[in-house]
Amino acid sequence: MTARSGRRAVIAGVATSDYPHLPHLSEHAVHGQAADRALADAGLTFADVDGFATTGFFPMYATGVAEYLGLHPIYFDETNSGGSSFEVLVEHAAYAVEAGAADVVLVTYGSVQLSQMGRRLGTGGGGGGGFAPGPAIYDALWGNTLVGNYAMAARRHMHEFGTTPEQLAAVAVTMRKHAATNPQAQEREPITVEDVVTSRLVADPLHKLDCCVISDGGGACVVTTEERARDLPRAPVYVLGAAHATTHHLNLSAMPNLTVTPAAQCGPVAFARAGITPADVDVAQLYDSFTITVVLTVEDLGFCAKGEGGAFVEDGGLGVGGRLPTNTDGGGLSACHPGMRGMFLIVEAVRQLRGEAGATQVADARIAVAHGTGGMLSTGATLVLGREVP
Amino acid sequence: MTERWFPDEMPMPAANAETVGWWEAAADHRLVVQRCTECGRTRHPPGPVCPRCRSTSAQWSPLAGTGTVYTYTVVHQAFIPSLQDRVPYVVIAVELDGADGARMVSDLVDADPDEVAVGLPVEVAWEDMGPELAVPRFRPASGPGRTRTGTRP
Repeated sequence: MTARSGRRAVIAGVATSDYPHLPHLSEHAVHGQAADRALADAGLTFADVDGFATTGFFPMYATGVAEYLGLHPIYFDETNSGGSSFEVLVEHAAYAVEAGAADVVLVTYGSVQLSQMGRRLGTGGGGGGGFAPGPAIYDALWGNTLVGNYAMAARRHMHEFGTTPEQLAAVAVTMRKHAATNPQAQEREPITVEDVVTSRLVADPLHKLDCCVISDGGGACVVTTEERARDLPRAPVYVLGAAHATTHHLNLSAMPNLTVTPAAQCGPVAFARAGITPADVDVAQLYDSFTITVVLTVEDLGFCAKGEGGAFVEDGGLGVGGRLPTNTDGGGLSACHPGMRGMFLIVEAVRQLRGEAGATQVADARIAVAHGTGGMLSTGATLVLGREVP
Repeated sequence: MTERWFPDEMPMPAANAETVGWWEAAADHRLVVQRCTECGRTRHPPGPVCPRCRSTSAQWSPLAGTGTVYTYTVVHQAFIPSLQDRVPYVVIAVELDGADGARMVSDLVDADPDEVAVGLPVEVAWEDMGPELAVPRFRPASGPGRTRTGTRP
């Protein structure tokens, strides 16, 4: 990032809330728990916060959470791009502190999606009719599902490049291996490729174990300037480069190419802004709503050529010591996926760069990438983070 | 009424200024695609502005109703309650003949899920869902040697 002197953006604190099952907490309380912990991690208090960012599924969402937290920020942001939202919010926060619009931006996420499923009082059922307005969810009229969209992208990738269900399964197997070392992870029992491809089909070719878990949870991070971070306890993590992109809204009919995600646009831009290439990346945290999401993302970010993602993720390619250590907390496939898990990617990337990732620590990790994917492969947002400025 | 494959309790389109013409054509069992009258680019779903030349002028270009399966999924877990006991059913993205690359998501009917494949030729099969609502679904194109093996959903 190009900053005014002394105002280079850094992440000074991170935290996750408790997860994956929080029936005793409201959504706002999850934000609060994560915010308390991230500020404590940063050595700051709510009194230091003058900027705030979060997003959820209602308009004026950030305003509501700010009220709950007792914040009266002079900068706020609630950009929603689905699963990539928190990478976008941190990018914006970095620009804000670098421009001098704020000094300390708190970014929080909270969701009780899992517990909420059991709490709905008669609103979730009915005949399932309803109206699809305008072009929005045009595809749903044909009984298409969220998983179905990703399944159709997977099928097309298999058709064009010969990718196999076993290669997709390898992603889930590696995530589960990482989750086994994370005491908070929702699913920790080791699984094999055979387990994945024999689990029940949800939307062919995606099986149950090709799909993320559904969780409660949240996280937070504190974005400030390098100058401010000098007085703080933790080693700062630099926001070296960032970019985001979109190709379509929620209709797969409108996706230009089903095997190319917005990561192909924003990844190279973020890397160029950071002054790095994919070969410089030590550890990656990649949105894993489904196994295919990861295969498409490693290709589009340039870690391998288009069509080679299946071979790239095979044989522990995403494991620690593999081609690209990825989702070292167990990812959304096994650890925690409360709906928009982009914040978890940032927290784990920062922990890796600080050397705090425990059993899945990548030795001497200096550059980490967090990449979120939102909607129906509709949005992508890349953050390049580093221990120092290269 | 035409043949029925899907239950009454499906999401219904709330047509707006951009999509109403498409649904009016569908009610007459005419499959159309929106085409820019300035540069000829097609777009689906319909929208107010040509994404290539920004013209707001567009027409409903008639299609033959045939196409090929670009990709597909066999849905085994439905999230619409009325479809939960109708699985498995086949959702397809169809590359429409004469639509210059425009694709639409629809269903494959009158076919066994095992029959579907990328590249399968298909033809439109209209389902009247109500007095003013017809929904285009697709069946394997009739051709020599083809036998109908299934009727689900």
